Amino acid sequence: MTVPDQQRELLDVSADRWHERIADLLAGGMRFLTLWSDPAERVACALGSGYGTTVVRSTPAPGELQSIVDVAGAAAWDEREIHDRTGVQFAGHVPLRPLVAHPAATADWVTPVSGDDVHQVAVGPIHAGVVESGHFRFHVVGERILHLDLRLFYKHRGLEAAAAGATPDLAARLAQRACAACAVTNSVAVAQAYESAHAGVPDAAVRRARTLLLELERLYNHLNDIGAICSGIGLATGSMAFAELKERAQRVNAELTGHRFLFDTIAVGSSDLDIDASTAAHLRARVAAIGAEAALLWADVGANRSVRARIRGAGILVRDEALRLGACGPAGRASGVNDDARADGGLLWYPGFVGATLNDPSGDVAARIEIRAREITACCAIIEDVLSDPVRPGRVTLSGPAAGPGIAQLESPRGRTVAVVEPDRAVIAGLHLRTGSYANWPALAAACTGAILPDFPLINKSFELCYACVDR
Amino acid sequence: MPAWTGRPGVFVLLRHLAALRRSTDLARGAPRSVAIRHVDAGSCNGCEHELGATLGPIYDLQRFGLSITASPRHADILLVTGPVTTRMRDALLVAYSAMPEPRLVAALGNCALGCGLLGDPAEMIGSVEAILPVAVRVPGCPPTPDEIARHLLAGLEEVRAAHVRPTS
Repeated sequence: MTVPDQQRELLDVSADRWHERIADLLAGGMRFLTLWSDPAERVACALGSGYGTTVVRSTPAPGELQSIVDVAGAAAWDEREIHDRTGVQFAGHVPLRPLVAHPAATADWVTPVSGDDVHQVAVGPIHAGVVESGHFRFHVVGERILHLDLRLFYKHRGLEAAAAGATPDLAARLAQRACAACAVTNSVAVAQAYESAHAGVPDAAVRRARTLLLELERLYNHLNDIGAICSGIGLATGSMAFAELKERAQRVNAELTGHRFLFDTIAVGSSDLDIDASTAAHLRARVAAIGAEAALLWADVGANRSVRARIRGAGILVRDEALRLGACGPAGRASGVNDDARADGGLLWYPGFVGATLNDPSGDVAARIEIRAREITACCAIIEDVLSDPVRPGRVTLSGPAAGPGIAQLESPRGRTVAVVEPDRAVIAGLHLRTGSYANWPALAAACTGAILPDFPLINKSFELCYACVDR
Repeated sequence: MPAWTGRPGVFVLLRHLAALRRSTDLARGAPRSVAIRHVDAGSCNGCEHELGATLGPIYDLQRFGLSITASPRHADILLVTGPVTTRMRDALLVAYSAMPEPRLVAALGNCALGCGLLGDPAEMIGSVEAILPVAVRVPGCPPTPDEIARHLLAGLEEVRAAHVRPTS
């Protein structure tokens, strides 16, 4: 397998050329990846084309940059976050509402919505079931949702701040603790970002091991998510049957690595995973059985008329809106946005990757569940392919540090995850993690507009976004 | 004429009914079920996944009388995950203060016990024990469904004992 194009371009621009430069790159077909504030108090924007990246950096002058949300709608949350953390203003982003900060007065963060009979329904931060913490503010007339304001970051643990000055290995472990359900993705992202800053070339063993772990993570997550949607529908048989399959997938994880969430399996610069031929064959058969049963089960559940009536047309995210907001992962693909970081090549093991697609990407709950069902089949095929041979320890060949940050892009179970590592000799000066969940929360809010309040749990489950990944 | 007539308020009626129930000769039993209110105070979601699994088809904790309840008003146990971020502290204390006596607090996972790999100390209290009296401890990162089940079933015995003990 050839080394993919790891072209890295670094452009330092003056504040007055910030917007123009980014707009030109986007017009030239590049994709917005993330915005962050670097250790030198510059604001940086990463853009991607395939696996190659371009970073545009600028020092705000004085304390202000022109907003880029007019050309990159996906940057809205990033700009709000940078403003909360550093005080930098983004001219033209009006109003620049707080995202990470939690002002006491509701008027300081809630969108004003007025009209006959408009009222607010406040939910959280503690939810009714076994759910992560976050606050939703619905603006409704009767049951109809006019607008949804999200207030997350209740679980903010300052993991990026803790990673500043840490060794690369500690930084990867902190990123792993950001979110259990995306532990592999986040730690591989940090490892690859660090390696990318050192022109790292992973050998075939490292690529195969990381790909295997990433797909095992996707498998139990997708099984979990379909079960969760069945709970949202109120179909107990579906939710229990998929819970059983998820448990079996997690037991495969435990047998393979000693941990049900694959914790502590990723190292920076190497891979220790060692699976002999007989273990590989045995686990391969178990994964194949899970995949086959999931397909049969979904054929049964998905064809159920009452299930179909419940999920069709619920929580529609139209393609233009998905593109504008930068929706990605299964949620984006369900709306016809064919974005999958695995297709960009990268430093993993996806020979001839073709992502699952839908004939009718209708952008509703039905589409988001159907795409996951298809991806489970594809995911099992990739795992079976890797496990048809033994997996051996491997190394990443690193060279001296290059100028500028290292950036990695990975496809998490929820979408494109981007990690930025600012290396400083043996330690990390800065870490920024923008996960697939972070990218998709604004799209979830958009999909709820016009829906009815009782459909919210179902629509929410069909995105099944992590709070922990966002809050960090 | 019933003793409560003429006195206003539904609570007076409830207290009267409770007194009538005590006046029977039936033995006063400790509860055989436990309602759990779960609060995520900044976890990585691993504990939530595994707690969810204990309620699934394989571990099925409901068959032992354990259930998750939506309101702290109905809860016997407050089950807390995460290192208690500064932003979740108040919500956690409100949930605890809404619970009826006797009530127990359980800390689920290493973060809640103050021994996880955490982030910036300025953003968190650091453990559940620092702000609430913890009676049940479930270590692990995250604890497996087996471990959660075993500790919660032991917690059920604690709740029974708390009901039998006279409360002040």
